[in-house]
Amino acid sequence: MTKLMEWLSVLTVLGVLWATVTFDLLGLDPPEAVLQVSWPLPVFLLVALGCFSLGTVGYRVATFNDCQTAAAELQAQIREAKTDLQRKGLRF
Amino acid sequence: MASGVDQAVGMGLVGFSLLLFIYYTLWVIVLPFVDSDHVIHGYFLPREYSVILPGIAALLLVLFVGTFIALVMWKNRKPKKTQ
Repeated sequence: MTKLMEWLSVLTVLGVLWATVTFDLLGLDPPEAVLQVSWPLPVFLLVALGCFSLGTVGYRVATFNDCQTAAAELQAQIREAKTDLQRKGLRF
Repeated sequence: MASGVDQAVGMGLVGFSLLLFIYYTLWVIVLPFVDSDHVIHGYFLPREYSVILPGIAALLLVLFVGTFIALVMWKNRKPKKTQ
């Protein structure tokens, strides 16, 4: 089974479970609090995923290590390449 | 170490996403199990908004991304060369 089919089947199973609880398809009559938690659940999971992604990006930005020597070296190489290419006729 | 501004922005993002997550979790998961006459209910909008507001935010995001792409493509259009 391809990865897509795996993901789709898992999502389908979870979706059926959610619909069964939210719309009371089996006549189980869940308590009011459970219904109130259940119906926004897909949106909640998406928002939680978004928050997690944002937090991870922010954390990685904050802890990224600057390499001063490598940066200086790279700038020098860029200047060198620019002058070289300009001499050969390429216009920036 | 990342530069000062980078650290500030990064930790700001972490803090913001944490606050948002906690508020939203309280709203969706915790509040239904709290008595309806508890004072905390005054700090949260009616439950419909817990779905409507993220929906609007997602729409705005798509709008911004689409507008950005359109602007960049417009700036990079090259006039056709005529013989």
